[in-house]
Amino acid sequence: MPHRPFRQRRSRLSLAAVAFVLVALLLNVPGPARASGPVSPAVSAAAYTVTWNGADVSAAGSASSALVIDLTQQANLLFNWTLSAPNTADVSDARIQMFYFGFAVATRDQVLTNPVARASGSIPLSWTPLSVAYLLEGVYRITASFIAANGSTLFSENFYVRDNAPLGIVAILPIVLLAIMVYEVYGLARSGRYEMIGRVPPAATTASAPPSTGGGPSGGGSETSSTGSDSTRPSPPPSGGGAS
Amino acid sequence: MSATSHGAACGVVIGIVFVVFLQQISYLDLSNLVPSLVDLAVGAVVGGVLGAVIGRLLGRAYLARHAADAATQPK
Repeated sequence: MPHRPFRQRRSRLSLAAVAFVLVALLLNVPGPARASGPVSPAVSAAAYTVTWNGADVSAAGSASSALVIDLTQQANLLFNWTLSAPNTADVSDARIQMFYFGFAVATRDQVLTNPVARASGSIPLSWTPLSVAYLLEGVYRITASFIAANGSTLFSENFYVRDNAPLGIVAILPIVLLAIMVYEVYGLARSGRYEMIGRVPPAATTASAPPSTGGGPSGGGSETSSTGSDSTRPSPPPSGGGAS
Repeated sequence: MSATSHGAACGVVIGIVFVVFLQQISYLDLSNLVPSLVDLAVGAVVGGVLGAVIGRLLGRAYLARHAADAATQPK
């Protein structure tokens, strides 16, 4: 098998190249696209609240207590802040981001044109992420952020939503995953025949075996003309195939 | 490629896909990058080991069956 070391070396090289490209892609992701932890303001966290269709998102702080939503339906969010008298906040942007594998797959912003520093206020935001509604389902983390006029994050809160696909399972990704799993399970079930690769079948071994001493060839594939010293011997009658 | 390596390759793919599928049916949270990569790596390793074992068993069964077939062929 002269090709085996070359193939092994080539597969190792390709594996190393794939790993290098993956690491390089992960390291070159821009900072704002990466998930970050929640930002707590200097004031009390209770001063900032976000509601999702009237429900406070602070109650959905874990995956087990996620809000059950339908991404094909419109979500009405309300960003509220109420600070004590000397403190004000110049909130200019209310933002939600939906994360998958640490990256934002959906972002929605409600930007105020003329932000004014106020002690209290509210920003309504409606969101219908139809772009991912037919693609994904499952549990996702969403970050709601209050962005100041200078771009800094005044407050952000993480909460979880459980997205149900339209009609139960009409989302592209789970269907594709199911198809891949069925294909690979089929490939795994048929992997036994790969054991024969590189092995000489027993029938071919007996057919190409050299004749034993004195007995002469008895296989079915020896009906070709003999050469050399065997030419003086009488050829045995063919025992297999179509000769009769 | 032997049956063991082919089974391991299939098992790695099945393990990774199964982890992503578990998230799609709300059994896993893959929102954060590093825990998600850990889950994927665990799925790949477990799937690869199980696939290698299954592939090896299937390969030996295939060899035994075909050796028996060759032995029972008329001479």
